[in-house]
Amino acid sequence: MMGDIWMTLLGVLVTTLLAFVTGMFYMGASRKITARVQNRVGPPIYQNFLDLIKLQAKDTAIHHGWMQLLGPAFLMVSAVGSLMFIPVLNKGLFFENFTADGDIIFLLYLMVFGSLGMALGAGQTGNPNSAIGVTRGLTQMVGFEIPWVMAIVALILQYHTTNIAEILEAQHRSGVWSMFANPYAFIAALLAAFGMFRYSPFDIVGAPAELASGPVSENGGKFLGTMMSSHAVFAFVKLVLYVDLFMGGADNLVELVIKTFGLYLIPLTYGMVNPRYRTEQAVRYFYGWPTLFGIIAILYAVFY
Amino acid sequence: MELHKEKQLLETLQGVFQLKSGEIKRRHRIEVEVEKKDVVPLLLFVKEKLGYKHLSHISCVDWIEEGRFELIYMPWSHQEQILIMVKVSIPRDAAEMENIDMIWRQANTYQRELREMFGIEFPGFVGDYDFILEDWEDIPPMRRDFDTEAYVKDHYFERPGREDAKDVRTEIAKRSGEQIPDFAKKYSR
Amino acid sequence: MNDKNSQKIVDVIKNFARKHSLFVLAYGTGCGAIEIPATMTSRYDAERFGIRGAATPRQADVLLITGYLSTKTLKRVIRTYEQMQDPKYVIGFGSCTINGGMYWDSYNTIKLLDMYLPVDIYINGCMPRPEAVIEGFIGLQKLIAAGKAEGAKKYKENLDWYRANQKKVIKNWVMPDYNW
Repeated sequence: MMGDIWMTLLGVLVTTLLAFVTGMFYMGASRKITARVQNRVGPPIYQNFLDLIKLQAKDTAIHHGWMQLLGPAFLMVSAVGSLMFIPVLNKGLFFENFTADGDIIFLLYLMVFGSLGMALGAGQTGNPNSAIGVTRGLTQMVGFEIPWVMAIVALILQYHTTNIAEILEAQHRSGVWSMFANPYAFIAALLAAFGMFRYSPFDIVGAPAELASGPVSENGGKFLGTMMSSHAVFAFVKLVLYVDLFMGGADNLVELVIKTFGLYLIPLTYGMVNPRYRTEQAVRYFYGWPTLFGIIAILYAVFY
Repeated sequence: MELHKEKQLLETLQGVFQLKSGEIKRRHRIEVEVEKKDVVPLLLFVKEKLGYKHLSHISCVDWIEEGRFELIYMPWSHQEQILIMVKVSIPRDAAEMENIDMIWRQANTYQRELREMFGIEFPGFVGDYDFILEDWEDIPPMRRDFDTEAYVKDHYFERPGREDAKDVRTEIAKRSGEQIPDFAKKYSR
Repeated sequence: MNDKNSQKIVDVIKNFARKHSLFVLAYGTGCGAIEIPATMTSRYDAERFGIRGAATPRQADVLLITGYLSTKTLKRVIRTYEQMQDPKYVIGFGSCTINGGMYWDSYNTIKLLDMYLPVDIYINGCMPRPEAVIEGFIGLQKLIAAGKAEGAKKYKENLDWYRANQKKVIKNWVMPDYNW
């Protein structure tokens, strides 16, 4: 019994560390790739680690209340918590954590939890830019959650289960990734991912030029460092979830990296050539083609 | 050069108002000088009757020797393409002028600037007193009797120059073996 | 383990990270702010040294005073500087911050920046070109790596002196007290 607990803790630790390091390198790579696209040399790929050390070494002499202290913690809890319920590799190849108990509907709630906690934290700072940023973020969330949930509902209807592990198994049994079994769901989810990753043109929450980085504007030093690391973990969580749901998971870490990085490049490269949307443009975007594809995906799952 | 548009405008103004002087400076530009009481009627006339919809600027010159400020209003017409410079003199010791921000809204900004920089009062004009300067306690800084250098010496710090400061021009000439031409010598230290 | 030595190792790591990750506050005063976009973008690419913009004073490490500083702006700059979190650095940029430059006899701009804020490094020139700006940043990085960029510490220790100088030009001192 004692051994089980130690194994569980080890699993949590190793999985989180893997997610953190991979996510940080992906963020570094994104900066490097953006720089190369703009014909610059760009920072080294490990730049984000240096930023993180520096931010953690910075003083944080002032805070505006308990909720602000809890905001970044909520983000981290949400990111690590979601990670625990997602199979990183296929069954039996890696720590399973709590994947056997996790289902998608619970995960949908858990993934939103961090943003809501952050919104409360940002609200307490009293900065007007934070309030505007939070409003924009929640509006955008209302936008991209609809195609995203539609895609997931289509998958649930198709495989008659809400368990991620079972969806993975079903893909293996049939030998067809659900990306091909229900392409409309994949397209809807992919378009929703643009909003989820918040790269330009959907970076309306941060918007440094108009909002002074929005909800983060009063958070420097350790707050910012914690947020940065939780963003790294969360990016990994989202990518692995996509790979599990649509691309049949991964058999080893190399395959995982190839699949997730390939997915990661799609919102990144889309953002490089697009300027920032206004809030209503972003919402209108999500209520257009992505929602249409979501509806088609559900109809396809029901009737085909 | 065709100047008949300008001539026609000047004749119209001379017919309606008593101009102290009126002159065509060049194409697209005429200059008239009027009494203080005629300024508002003239500006209203050129805006409402002649279509000079755009107020480019209100400028001010401090003629300290003659004891007067000269205000210059510059309306511009996009149809006629003419800038009228309306000059008016006001006494320096009781600097006061008609408020015109109901004719042109943008005059508000110019009048705030004039009040701050020259101390010209505009009775009945609503605008914040602090414009570019903040907490200014001295006499208005664009008046010519304001001694800038004394003010700077009094209020700010000064970094002493280097002991070994050399003249850049002579040093470069010495290094490259060139002669400094005579006309440039007066600029050297 | 020797406590002093372990602290030394931690300091070296911290200073290395600080040196290679400078977040510059996007606050432009005077005409020098126009050089910053050129320094940051494709041609000169300051990001390869880890220099990037930060939108708010809470996140920033470096305050760039880009050129002349009017007394009205000085008030805002002091507030901004005091909101920044330690460790923080100030770069005086252009002749105007050194001795007033071409505004040496202006009634409304301060002449010597280091009388009001602790300046870690000056970049001279009017205007300094992006190469000079990058060299200034590298000079600051060297100071940080050597642990000599201690402007913020100096400011805290001599706060009364700085306050007296600041209040000499800012007559109506209505500022909140920060417990930074």
